[in-house]
Amino acid sequence: MSSDVRFTDFKSDKQPTWCPGCGDFGTMNGMMKALANTGNDPDNTFVVAGIGCSGKIGTYMHSYALHGVHGRALPVGTGVKMARPDIEVMVAGGDGDGYSIGAGHFVHAVRRNVDMTYVVMDNRIYGLTKGQASPTSRSDFETSTTPEGPKQPPVNPLALALASGASFIAQSFASDALRHQEIVQEAIEHDGFGFVNVFSPCVTFNDVDTYDYFRDTLVDLEEEGHDPTDYEAAKEVILDGEKEFQGVMYKEENSVPYHEQHGVTENMSEIPDGAPDDAMDLVREFY
Amino acid sequence: MAEDLNWAIGGEAGDGIDSTGKIFAQALSRAGRHVFTSKDFASRIRGGYTAYKIRTAVDDVQSVVDRLDILVALTQRTIDENLDELHEGSAIIYDGERSWEAEIPDEMTAVDVPLKSLAEDAGGAIMRNVVALGAACEITGFDVEYLDESLEKRFGGKGSKIVENNKQAARLGQEYVQENYDLDHLGYDLETTDEDYVLLNGNEAIGMGAIAAGCRFYAGYPITPATSIMEYLTGRIEDYGGHVVQAEDELSAINMALGAARGGARSMTATSGAGIDLMTETFGLVATSETPLVIADVQRSGPSTGMPTKQEQGDLNMALYGGHGEVPRFVVAPTSITECFWKTIEAFNLAEKYQTPVFLVSDLAMSVTEQTFPPEAFDMDEVEIDRGKLVDEDEVDEWLDAQGRFRAHAVTDDGVSPRAIPGATDGAHMSTGLEHDELGRRTEDEDERVQQVDKRNRKVETAKEQESWEYREFGNSDADNLVISWGSNEGALVEALDYLEEDDIDVRVLSVPYIFPRPDLSDEIEAADETIVVECNATGQFADVIEHDVLTRVKRINKYTGVRFKADELAEEITQKLTEEVPA
Ligand SMILES: Cc1ncc(C[n+]2csc(CCOP(=O)(O)OP(=O)(O)O)c2C)c(N)n1
Ligand code: SF4
Repeated sequence: MSSDVRFTDFKSDKQPTWCPGCGDFGTMNGMMKALANTGNDPDNTFVVAGIGCSGKIGTYMHSYALHGVHGRALPVGTGVKMARPDIEVMVAGGDGDGYSIGAGHFVHAVRRNVDMTYVVMDNRIYGLTKGQASPTSRSDFETSTTPEGPKQPPVNPLALALASGASFIAQSFASDALRHQEIVQEAIEHDGFGFVNVFSPCVTFNDVDTYDYFRDTLVDLEEEGHDPTDYEAAKEVILDGEKEFQGVMYKEENSVPYHEQHGVTENMSEIPDGAPDDAMDLVREFY
Repeated sequence: MAEDLNWAIGGEAGDGIDSTGKIFAQALSRAGRHVFTSKDFASRIRGGYTAYKIRTAVDDVQSVVDRLDILVALTQRTIDENLDELHEGSAIIYDGERSWEAEIPDEMTAVDVPLKSLAEDAGGAIMRNVVALGAACEITGFDVEYLDESLEKRFGGKGSKIVENNKQAARLGQEYVQENYDLDHLGYDLETTDEDYVLLNGNEAIGMGAIAAGCRFYAGYPITPATSIMEYLTGRIEDYGGHVVQAEDELSAINMALGAARGGARSMTATSGAGIDLMTETFGLVATSETPLVIADVQRSGPSTGMPTKQEQGDLNMALYGGHGEVPRFVVAPTSITECFWKTIEAFNLAEKYQTPVFLVSDLAMSVTEQTFPPEAFDMDEVEIDRGKLVDEDEVDEWLDAQGRFRAHAVTDDGVSPRAIPGATDGAHMSTGLEHDELGRRTEDEDERVQQVDKRNRKVETAKEQESWEYREFGNSDADNLVISWGSNEGALVEALDYLEEDDIDVRVLSVPYIFPRPDLSDEIEAADETIVVECNATGQFADVIEHDVLTRVKRINKYTGVRFKADELAEEITQKLTEEVPA
């Protein structure tokens, strides 16, 4: 099936209930195109989604998929990939899902370098719960739970990834469709944990980090001549703090994914009809 | 009962108590004797009293008793802690050259052996425990050569020199006692047989069962007393193409295990206490996404951090009712070490046949206790694998709707839907913790909601009909006195029958390995004059569900000291309970 797969094959027949104009539309389209362009098809792809407006993506895409509990999508993806090294695994969720309730899992999935693609739809707000501060909200961003702003600096997810030993770090913008798609594609093709933080504006609850804001400020690293294999250069853009970048920031050239490091090659769904032939050896060990 | 020997070694944690005990236990088992071991340990790594106890006989032994015949005491505390179990005929091996002066009651045989200096003669002070083992052999007339094989097993990896030194150390201990004491084996004549036994604990049996059952993925986070399941699988499961992940926490562990199961692997996680609480969040997701998953809970004393190294059976209510909303599940609780093996295999089959989470509820006593068995008790030819309605490419077609979409949560008469795993053409579908329709898509439609809830619950009804939810029976089946138990209390109860028989008390024991669904015990309870439910918790959680089932009050024996039941103690308690009034 894979040769004539079109990106629409990854579309389910459920109409998204996202607000008209939500950045998640563009983010999802790019993901589907990237999957199709990299030769995947719905039957060999597993999408794990978190909870939030962003997490609804699992419903609108068509593939093997699990829509889990809040913040735990990465461990699910890890399990799928370990059991099925033959399957393409993509994990998606929001900034709250990934950097707040799931922050612990983020650090560990990154450092394990599990071969999957992690797309975070970063709208710097909690959308589904109707507009509370998220870990990437600006410190003076006024929300229903932070009327005077969170008064604490936002998490820098790229820096968190870098500090955790990431082998691939990128950022894209939902509305720059082609670049977003290219970047996700590169993340899929990366051998290891492909992390993409996507600016995916919430048109309903965030009037600061808007399409216009990103259009006006976004600096494309490719145009800047940034070399993603240069760790020091990556560090510099990631810790910049002044500018907003899109592009692949860092890419480890000799990345070896977790399952290969641990010698996992088999499709674990295949097991014998009874105990393995030499299973009595397991008993004799206790003599 | 001179042939029933109770031996222990005790000292500080870090003194090598465990490995020394194990060497002796293996030697006894190699000599064709039955062995039952137990451990006392505090929850600290160094410092803190710890002991390894062995009960051995030629006949089957299944429990501990309140008696110690030979004690190797590395500290005074070892003697003090065990004083109530020592008796007139007990012998205590200690090292008089050490800085403490042992206070040993007059009526006991004090055997002062210079453990440290003899060990140094053999090549290093570290071997002083092995010198003590040699001394213990001499005292009981047990051939010191039986130690050799266990020493090889234990130290073989460190080179033949170390093995030889240890063998020498054992002999120096043996000779010292022979030359300096006239004990005449204290009347012991430890019989040996030609039987070949294996010696293992409950967690090892769970791990072995998991591999035999085709488990290929395990994710866990270390916690006493579940960790040794992960330790067993690590380094073995790889031989079968599997993998163990030490996750960052239990939330992650259960979600990884869930992910692997969605991928089609037989998958498992295990934990205890606080870890089960953390996993509860995902428990409902496992059920609503209809994912086959085995979750082992090796219970310890709670609540909260409770007594992490102590026995309890306090999680029954959690296993039955844990999780928000109403979650169909199976709860299987092995009653012996062999059952830890067989019920693990059954748990994997149930999980896949009914696409539900299965709680495998064990407890600390079973997890640290080692026992001897004939290897046939784990006959791998008997292992059967049932993968349920796992559909392949061809069968997927039968489950497509008019638009060609796979009905992963199809409403069926038996409540079980077809299961397609990644790679199966046209099987792609989503599953979710949200209420969903047959296709796995979110719904809040009243009819669909009810259909899905009923469908999931129907699995339990189907399983009730199709599987046998039996109990095991011991004692006199015509007895008027009925004792019901679950989990690791079985061994002690079976042995308690001997003590009761001596007092002409007839008892029928039912040991129940299924908590949910569970056998209907109405007839048995009705036929009995007295019913007592035995369990290691304060409130009688199993007694509660039984009262609920049969609408009759039962008597209860509850122990929540942190220590498992002993056979003689149980016999006494049962005797006492039988004369008590039933609570109103
Ligand atoms: C354990 C738990 N706590 C809280 C919630 C409620 N909740 C649902 S989505 C969400 C925040 C989502 O924010 P984000 O990840 O930024 O996604 P967005 O909706 O903005 O796409 C919260 C707190 C939940 N579902 N589960
Ligand atoms: S609330 Fe915001 S994030 Fe959610 S769908 Fe609407 S625009 Fe998108």
